[in-house]
Parts: sequence; structure tokens; C-alpha cells
Amino acid sequence: MPEVMTFVYIAMFFFGIYFLMFFLLIYARNRETLFDYAKTKNFPFVSVLIPAYNEEDGIEDTVNSFVSIDYPKRKMEIIIINDGSTDDTLKIARKLEKKYGIVRIIDKKNSGKADSLNQAIKIAKGELIAVADADSYPDKDSLKKMVGYFEDEKVGAVTSRVLVKNKEGFLGKFQDIDYRVIAWSRKILDYVDSVYVTNGPLSVYRASILKKVGGFDIKNVTEDIEVTWHILSEGYKTRMSYSSVVYTKVPMKFKQWLNQRIRWNLGGLQTIYKYRKFFFSSRNSFGYFVIPYVSLAFFLALVGFLLFSRFVFKKASLYFFSIPFFFQGYNPFKYLEFYIPVTLLLILGILFLLFSFVYYSNALKDSGNKGILNILIYALVYRPLYLVPLLSSIYKIIRRDVRWFTK
Amino acid sequence: MKHFVFFEALILTVLILSIGIFAGFFIESWRTGKVVEDYKKFEIGSMDLKLQNYYFQIMDSANCEEAKKQNLDFADGIYSEGLIIQRYEDLNQLSDDLILEKKKYVLLDTELWLNSILLREKCGDFHNVVYAYTQYPNDQKKAEQEAISKTLEELKKEMGNEIILIPIAGDLGLKAVELQMKIYNVTYYPSIIIDEEVVLEGFHTPEEIKKHLN
Repeated sequence: MPEVMTFVYIAMFFFGIYFLMFFLLIYARNRETLFDYAKTKNFPFVSVLIPAYNEEDGIEDTVNSFVSIDYPKRKMEIIIINDGSTDDTLKIARKLEKKYGIVRIIDKKNSGKADSLNQAIKIAKGELIAVADADSYPDKDSLKKMVGYFEDEKVGAVTSRVLVKNKEGFLGKFQDIDYRVIAWSRKILDYVDSVYVTNGPLSVYRASILKKVGGFDIKNVTEDIEVTWHILSEGYKTRMSYSSVVYTKVPMKFKQWLNQRIRWNLGGLQTIYKYRKFFFSSRNSFGYFVIPYVSLAFFLALVGFLLFSRFVFKKASLYFFSIPFFFQGYNPFKYLEFYIPVTLLLILGILFLLFSFVYYSNALKDSGNKGILNILIYALVYRPLYLVPLLSSIYKIIRRDVRWFTK
Repeated sequence: MKHFVFFEALILTVLILSIGIFAGFFIESWRTGKVVEDYKKFEIGSMDLKLQNYYFQIMDSANCEEAKKQNLDFADGIYSEGLIIQRYEDLNQLSDDLILEKKKYVLLDTELWLNSILLREKCGDFHNVVYAYTQYPNDQKKAEQEAISKTLEELKKEMGNEIILIPIAGDLGLKAVELQMKIYNVTYYPSIIIDEEVVLEGFHTPEEIKKHLN
């Protein structure tokens, strides 16, 4: 009989290959319509909410981008929410308010992004509410390509394709690849009504539905994930407009990147926990696919880490237990050999890598970074880095370090 | 209809996994088959050696050189095959057919040992070095066995025809092997049995082993 561990590895490959097949099949059938969007001649009033906390460096460019966006100006307003900034954000916002008639300001004490948005929702005039980060730079036609989806009464939110503005260095370059892969996979999920994140850099919500779900959860560190799940759990649809591009600035230092990803992980886990009762019990794909899929992604990453750790531990223990013999003249390093034996797991691993390569190269089709080397580095170096924030998040949860949950 | 893709992906995944598992089985069967085939050759060699031994028993010691050479060649061949089996054992993840084949080899090794004992009594000037190890080591024992195995391998390279190196897994449930271990008081794995006189338990340096070979 095969060892239990062999079954564990086969189960891991099963889930890994299943999701790759799932994404590739949907892509193969819909690749011609990836950039299609819901066209409309009706342009509802849109309130663009831009929460800002110490954003003096980016706020002006962001507001300028939204002001110059290709959308009827009489059908939009921009609300900057100064969340108790201690720098010149408010001063710049006042200047923009004077300069552009469509800009309004809410100045309040620091209470976090979700609360800032909730306060703005109360005074927003728009039938639709667009939420943007203070370092987001939308393409001119991005908003226009999103509003048409709302002609379907069941659509509660539409999200955009986020790309990286600052692509310099290792982190910049591979976050650019990462954001493209994430956007591509999100668009694929759009075809099965399972867009589970309406991202912070630019997403549009139907105001009535946003108000119905009580706005953004101030206790959740990833209010954009939470609000999407809330909308889905109420039976509404969330969509993605792949041709609506918005650029964002990404962290350029590993520590900043780590903090951002820890927040994403904590928010994800927090949201799964909050909506656990919907597991396999909702009217749409939310309970039957979104929650199991996201939960499984966390679980598989963790099991993958444990398997890798076990492998390393086994190898290391051989050297560790050789220490007494080392002092008697035996040198285990003298007998190091490098060979890749052909085993069942190697075959499955190669198959998984092959399909992963197809997956990534399709996701990066319109990118300048679609070379084999870039994909290999992304898949074998950058993606495994995901484990660092995941483990840090789990450590924080175990230690009951709840700052992230209440901030 | 768009949700049909969940099932299509499932069918494709099962198909791909089946191909992978089938290929895995095929490779493992090929490895086992190779060991089985090699065994046939060694089985004939062993019988040949046994007959030669009867013959050399009644001959005078002038024929010792030839007898030793035959024994040594066989021992070297079976030792190399043992290393291959050991490597295959770590690779096979689906079936345990290989362990059955290994038992046959361990019996051959034991037969070789008995042969070498007789030959040594008759012809003298070489040493029997039997390395008795466990088939089911924990991590700590695995490190110890690895150290001993490599040390003996080096010693064999250094001393060449002066020693016959016979590794035997003592705990495969083979009665003849267990009896042999009992005769030589092997109570601990791994141990090194030198010339059926000395039993060295655990790791020993080449120098310590050599002391018993002179």
C-alpha cells in the first residue's frame, strides 16, 4: 500500500490541477470576449469617493485623473474624505475643491478607511458610488466601461482591472506580473458570477445596495473584500470590467509589501470566518464556490507549506543526526549528490508546472513580462513568498494580536 | 449551462491525474521488473558459486585464488545491485513489490556470507565484513546507517580484494537471516560483524574497524 503522504501529495495535485483546468477551460471559451464590456448610452450620476490619510504626495494626481476622466461632468461628483491627515492632504484638497466645481471635501478625525467611506456614502448624491484609493490613476474610459453593467438590476458592484504604476525593481516588476495574474483570474471568475473582491483602487457600487448592506464593515481590515461578500450573500451579482484599467502605486520595500499582504490575508480569513454560515448554503455561487474556493486556497497554501517544511526537516534531520559522527571524522557533505529521480510525484509535479505555465502565460498575454524566465521566477520565487504574510497572519491570529481587526 | 465547467474541469483533472498515476505505476513496475530480471542472473551466479564451493572444498588450497576471485566478483555484483535496490526503495511510492524482491536479495546475501565463511576457513587471507542494518530506520538511525554505509564503502575501495563486504537487512522477517544474526549475537542494528568474531555496534571510524582487520 502507498504511504499516507503519497495520498496527501496526490490530493494536493488534484486540487491544484482542478483549479488550473477550471480557469483554463473558461478562458479557452471566452478569450475573445475578455475585453468586452456592457455598453450603454445612459450615464447615471456617479459619486467618486476618495478617502485620504496622509496622501499629500498622490492625492492631487489622483483627483486630476478623475476630473479628466471621460464621463459627463454634470453626472459626477468627487468627494475627498480627509481622514485626520497630519500632513498637507487637507490643504491640497481645499485647493482642488476651489479649482474644480465637482470636488467636495469631508474633513474628519481619523477613524479608518471604512468609516470614512460610510460617512461619505451618507452625503453622496450618486445613484452609483465609485470608490478609489488616493493613489489610483484610472484610464480615461475606465468609468464609462463600468457603468453599463448596472443596467442589470441584480448587479450590485463592478470592479476594474488594477495594474501597477511603479514597476521598478524586483518587487515592482513582480507585483506588476502579480496584479496582472490576479486581474486575469478575477475576470475568469466573472464568467461564473464569482468576482469575490471589488478592489480598492477603483470599484463602482449601486448606492441603494451599498446602503442596504450597511456600507463598509469598519471592523474588517479588507473592507473591499467584505463588502463584496456582503453583496454576494444578499443574492446580488458582482462583475468585472477587464477593459477598465486603473493604475496603482505598489509597495517598493519588502516590509511594506509584507504589511500589505498580511492585511489582505487577515482580512480574507476574517471575512471567511464572518460568512462561514453561508458555506454550501446560499442562493448563488457565493456559498457553493466563492467561500469554498477562497478557503481552500488558504488551506492548500498552508498544507503546501507543511509538506515543504516536512521535506526540508527530513533532509536537515539526516545532517543533524550525523553531527556525532562528524566529530569522529565522518563528513556527510562529502557524499552530497544531485539527481532528480523519476517518481510519481515528479511526474505530477511536471504536469502541474506545465499547466501553471500555460495559465500564467495566458494571464500575461498583453504584458511585456511574459517571458519564460519571468514566469519561472514569478512561479518559483515570488509566489512562494506569499507564505510569509500568510504565516505571519496566522501567527497574529494565534497570538490574538487583534490590532489588525479593530484598526 | 456555464456552471457545467465545474464538472468538465473535474473530468479533465481526473484524466490528467490518471495519466500521471499510470505513468508512475509504469515506471515503478519497470524498476521492479529490472530488479527481478537482475535477480535471475544473480540466482544463477549464486547456484554456480555454491557448486564451486563444494568443488573447492574437496580441492587443495592451490585453487583458492580462483575460488576467492569468483566469490569476490559475485559479492561485488550483488553489492552494487543492493545499492540500486536501496535507491529504488526510496523512489517507489505506489507499490511495495520491491520489498518482496529485496527479501530474495537478502537471502542471496546470506547465502554469500555462508559461502564466504566456508571459503575463508579453507583459503584464509581475506576478511568477511557483514553490515547488518535495519530495513525500517527512524531519522536518527537512518543518519547512523548512512554514516556506516559510506564508511564501509570507502573502506572497501581502500582495501579492495582484502575484504568481502556483505550488507544484510536483519529485520525483514526472514528466519535464516534472523538465525544467522542470533548465532553471532547481533542484538543492535546497525552492527558490523568482522570475520564472524567481532561485532561492532553502531558507528565506528575506519581506523577502529581496521584494527580488527589486521
